[in-house]
Amino acid sequence: MGRVGNPVCGDLMEIYIAVEDDHIKDIKFQTFGCGSAVATSSMVTELVKGMSLDDALKVTRDDVADALEGLPPIKMHCSNLAADALHAAIRNWREGKSPKEIGSEFPLYVNKHCNPPEEPIEGESEFLGKGVYNSADDSNLFKDKRVLVSDMGGVASAELAMDLTKHTGRVIFITPAKETEIHPDIKGRLKRSDVKALFESELLKIMGSGEVEKVLVNDLDEDQEYELFVDVVVIRR
Amino acid sequence: MTTAETEPEVYLDYQSSKPVDPRVVEAMRPYFFEKFGNPSSLHIEGDRATKVLEESREKIADFVGASSREILFTSGATESNNLALIGYAMRNKRKGNHIIISEVEHIPIHNIAKYLERNGFEISKVPVDQYARVDPKKLESRITDKTILASIGYGSNEVGTLQPMESICQVLKNKGIAIHTDAVAAEGLVPMDVNKVPVDLMTLSSNDIYGPKGLGVLYVRKGFGIAPIIMGGGQERGLRSGTENMPAIVGMAEAARIAAVEMSEEIKRLGSYRDRLIKGVLERIPKAYLNGHPTERLPNNAHFRFEAVEGESLMLSLKDKGISASTGSACTSKTLEPSHTLIACGLLHEEAHGSLEFTFGRFNKAEDVDRILEVLPVVLERLRRLSPLYEGS
Repeated sequence: MGRVGNPVCGDLMEIYIAVEDDHIKDIKFQTFGCGSAVATSSMVTELVKGMSLDDALKVTRDDVADALEGLPPIKMHCSNLAADALHAAIRNWREGKSPKEIGSEFPLYVNKHCNPPEEPIEGESEFLGKGVYNSADDSNLFKDKRVLVSDMGGVASAELAMDLTKHTGRVIFITPAKETEIHPDIKGRLKRSDVKALFESELLKIMGSGEVEKVLVNDLDEDQEYELFVDVVVIRR
Repeated sequence: MTTAETEPEVYLDYQSSKPVDPRVVEAMRPYFFEKFGNPSSLHIEGDRATKVLEESREKIADFVGASSREILFTSGATESNNLALIGYAMRNKRKGNHIIISEVEHIPIHNIAKYLERNGFEISKVPVDQYARVDPKKLESRITDKTILASIGYGSNEVGTLQPMESICQVLKNKGIAIHTDAVAAEGLVPMDVNKVPVDLMTLSSNDIYGPKGLGVLYVRKGFGIAPIIMGGGQERGLRSGTENMPAIVGMAEAARIAAVEMSEEIKRLGSYRDRLIKGVLERIPKAYLNGHPTERLPNNAHFRFEAVEGESLMLSLKDKGISASTGSACTSKTLEPSHTLIACGLLHEEAHGSLEFTFGRFNKAEDVDRILEVLPVVLERLRRLSPLYEGS
């Protein structure tokens, strides 16, 4: 299996291959993405079915685009991931990696892999009591608000995030850990809860005018900063 | 394109374009032929045109409770927005250089603000809550002694949220700051009266009340000066030069007349479609969410977010079934950025990309709601099966 892309920019693609005598016997895809992303993943599966692995590795982004009789220039960059996913699948197969291994390289919740914020976050003291809270004791503060809960390295923050969904429909849990690093039990409960978990993300800055209005988030996987509009930030200290 | 021919076509994107009402076309027809006069001419044909121009202006003024001298004709809503912001800023720059807009303004307002910023003005953006509503108190906190103008859209063209315009006007009036509103998305869907909601500048468009494209209006309250941004022969009291687009002006006047008569009925009818669609979608589709405000929203707008599905692929799948809707994500337009409105509501990029907008209009029927409720769950199920992000419940 090969996985490429990132849902943040709108596309995620997985290609699964079945190999026999060094040839692609069967190939399937799963894609989250725009029309071009779906079209390219479908086309690449048609192009390489039956090919030898070496030949399939030679299939390029342009080959896929050409087979579709061209793509709009703006879509070449973001959507034409299909060839990359195919190559990743072949490499993973040759290295003997199973889909399970690719998806779960760190099966345990490992604190040493994460770096929860020990130092105060920029803006944390400025907005303390004005949208930044160190506990969630007063549920009135959270009613119907967009709440961001910062992972502090323990399970308590995750529990708190799940608990807050009783008071508001919008709770985001931000953690530097990868999804796969979270204890499977907590991970499963987070998934089933109404909490939106932001993995591999770092809270850089809390911003606003008089009270909290937004935060700056660093996507550690993409190495990309973006603003997220929230009303409340909970940092258990 | 091939399969759509066999499917019944349902148009649910009235926000992006509306057909012209046949009654409007009838009213316009003579002005392409025998009634071709230019109001600037002093001969008989010119006099006739002047009379019709002023009668039309009167009808459009009546539609929003204005007086006819407060109505300027432009080439469309985009020009009206430019004239309002740039015209007011240039004319009043000695009073101050600070302008406030909201985070959820229609794109033209954001880009005009950027232009003004490059030309010495300061822009503040007031944030919104998760339903895209501006908090008048937050707006007040952005005001400085340099603030001359605020521009807050009447209703969101995307998520359909209506702003608390009366409270917003009150805050600004108290401080002597002019208020502009782009009212296009709410036009014909919300009764508007500049005496009740005392905006000073208001953008209107002809097509949004089923008039022809290519005509807009800027309402300018008496006593509020603006500088022209288009120079020429001095039409529209020197504020907007260019020969009047008479067929379109007559068309918009007729469209306004029809809207005034039929609006309350239409609001009820479209509102019932909207409510049935929202209820049906939220009940039948797991992990579906309504974007925008649950009650304070345009009567024709239903805007959803579907987990683990990308808006454009959903839009294209519906297209195959003959249904025209619009993506919340801007992937279809010229950038790949997600909608700034959805981001301002607090959505993450991947969530904003999974949104879809349905807007009803005059020629929709109750069966259209049945059709979309029949097709949408099936299409979503298929796309979610295809999506590596979705883990079914």
